[in-house]
Amino acid sequence: MERRRFVGILGLGGLAGAVLMRRSAASDTPPATPSDTPPAAPPAAPPESATVLGGEPPAFTGPGPNLWWSSVGPYVAHPQKLPLIQLTDRPVQLETPRAYFAQAITPTAAFFVRWHLPNLPDVDLASYRLRVQGAVEHPLTLSMAEVLALPAMEVTAVNQCSGNSRSRFQPRVAGGQWGNGACGCATWRGVSLRALLERAGVRPTAVQVQLHGMDTGNGPEGKGSHAYAKSLDLAGDALDHAVLAYAMNGEPLPALHGFPLRLVVPGYFSTYWVKAVGAIDVLEQPDDGFWMKTAYRLPDTPNGGTTPAEAATVATKPIGTMPVRSLLANPDGQTKLLAGCPVTLRGVAFSGRGAITRVQWSVDEGATWNTAALGADLGPFAFRTFEASWTPPHGGTFVIAIRAHDASGAEQTDDPLWNGGGYGWNRIERQTVVVADAGGAA
Amino acid sequence: MILALLIACAQTPTPAASPAAPAAAPAATPVAIADPVGVPQVLAAPVAGTAFPAPATPLHTPPLAEGDGKDKVAAYCSVCHATTYITMQPPLPPEKWKAEVEKMVNAYGAQVPEAERAPIIAYLSAHYGPDRR
Ligand code: HEC
Repeated sequence: MERRRFVGILGLGGLAGAVLMRRSAASDTPPATPSDTPPAAPPAAPPESATVLGGEPPAFTGPGPNLWWSSVGPYVAHPQKLPLIQLTDRPVQLETPRAYFAQAITPTAAFFVRWHLPNLPDVDLASYRLRVQGAVEHPLTLSMAEVLALPAMEVTAVNQCSGNSRSRFQPRVAGGQWGNGACGCATWRGVSLRALLERAGVRPTAVQVQLHGMDTGNGPEGKGSHAYAKSLDLAGDALDHAVLAYAMNGEPLPALHGFPLRLVVPGYFSTYWVKAVGAIDVLEQPDDGFWMKTAYRLPDTPNGGTTPAEAATVATKPIGTMPVRSLLANPDGQTKLLAGCPVTLRGVAFSGRGAITRVQWSVDEGATWNTAALGADLGPFAFRTFEASWTPPHGGTFVIAIRAHDASGAEQTDDPLWNGGGYGWNRIERQTVVVADAGGAA
Repeated sequence: MILALLIACAQTPTPAASPAAPAAAPAATPVAIADPVGVPQVLAAPVAGTAFPAPATPLHTPPLAEGDGKDKVAAYCSVCHATTYITMQPPLPPEKWKAEVEKMVNAYGAQVPEAERAPIIAYLSAHYGPDRR
């Protein structure tokens, strides 16, 4: 069952219905490293009487690693979004298709979405107030107009889910079964969190700042299933570039991205990028709420890895910055390659621990690594595009491997990585491609 | 047919034996969604002012496998999230499903009466474990 792969497109324009369409793959068996190619053009409106073709998309992958580039949900169009790969509808979790990872800025309409709780807030800006309270000298109560009047700053930064690529882990772990597309890069505009805290006057006894989302869940009060809050240390570098953003890629934040304000913590995994922020509490004791104390913790080991046998006893710490990684958008497993005909390898590299310094590619099992050309530098927290031209010398099967390096000296490796949360995947990705012979004499 | 599908997806049974659990079922009324297929150019009822209501998002939850215990899982395990949280998982052995159910009860406060837990774990293990997947 998991060998089959379908694309479903749920177009809801004018109540048009759900159409599940067969993916264009010629066979039911995916290539060793298959791909996800989004629909080339927006799908045509399905006819009213559309029937469901081929049934549901496959529900799962496993027990081996997910061999697809993305997760295996259907494509579903949500408000202000292109059709994206839906993991769950309630809460909304959507993955960005592979083809968007050849560009430094991910279009907002294609940007992944990940909520923990199903009920997004109704926001009325007549009554909405951002509150900064707790261990501060002057608690703040700001209307949206007052927030917009504060000095603005902009940062281009990658937002990546801690569990991006969770479906690669072996043995598999429970959780959202993301492929590689739970990340994106946008330009965020808003107010500096540090400046806001300075305005409120943080007491010297304070240790953390806690952000509360206005989204709610259906679980009992006091539990992680009821409310979402995350905290950052006041000491350390997390707040240095943190922005309470009201705009994403030059437009007001869409509701699915956290209208009216969301936290942006460049370099850090998304779990800290609290959406629909209502209140900010300055804490004198470290946050012991569920989302800090129990969830989103990594083994306190050099690469955040452990083994299933040691998982229950290993010391843990809150997840933090993103390790270096890279994503190859093109070619994918459906690209038809031809011996003697060049193809451009394209993708993005990023790291939360230092600017990208180099991206290398290999087509010979890592015997030789070539250096790719880097695209525009949009700052140390942004996607850095790369490209390289490769002319396959002869027909056959090739494996393309991509390896990024960052300014901290870190590089991607093939070292084993496993933890119970399925967090922080950054192993070297590989794409198998088939090259056809041109035929005849050269 | 289309309407029926959306409504079917949207119907989330609420556990009868769970007094503390608030109503979980999302609004069952499908709404026209601005998407690349049908982005409205003229809004039927333009809303000016300060209100930004939560968006109505499309509902599409794959069905649970048929079998004993399905109704209990559909009822108790859809309060806080779609049952897609179950169906998207890789094959998990019975002890992992037991741990998941205990996590839902202890960490997240799922109101699942003691007596209902064993049949729920049995259903999850039977349909979403290594034997079936
Ligand atoms: C009181 C609310 C609540 C109920 C009821 C509930 N869950 Fe959950 N469940 C959650 C929350 C919250 C998450 C984490 C959501 C997220 O991170 O997106 C979760 C996540 C999960 C996951 C993903 C893996 C993980 O551990 O995060 C599985 C599987 C799951 N639930 C299964 C179940 C099953 C089976 C039931 C029925 C016995 C159930 N849930 C009932 C709140 C609940």
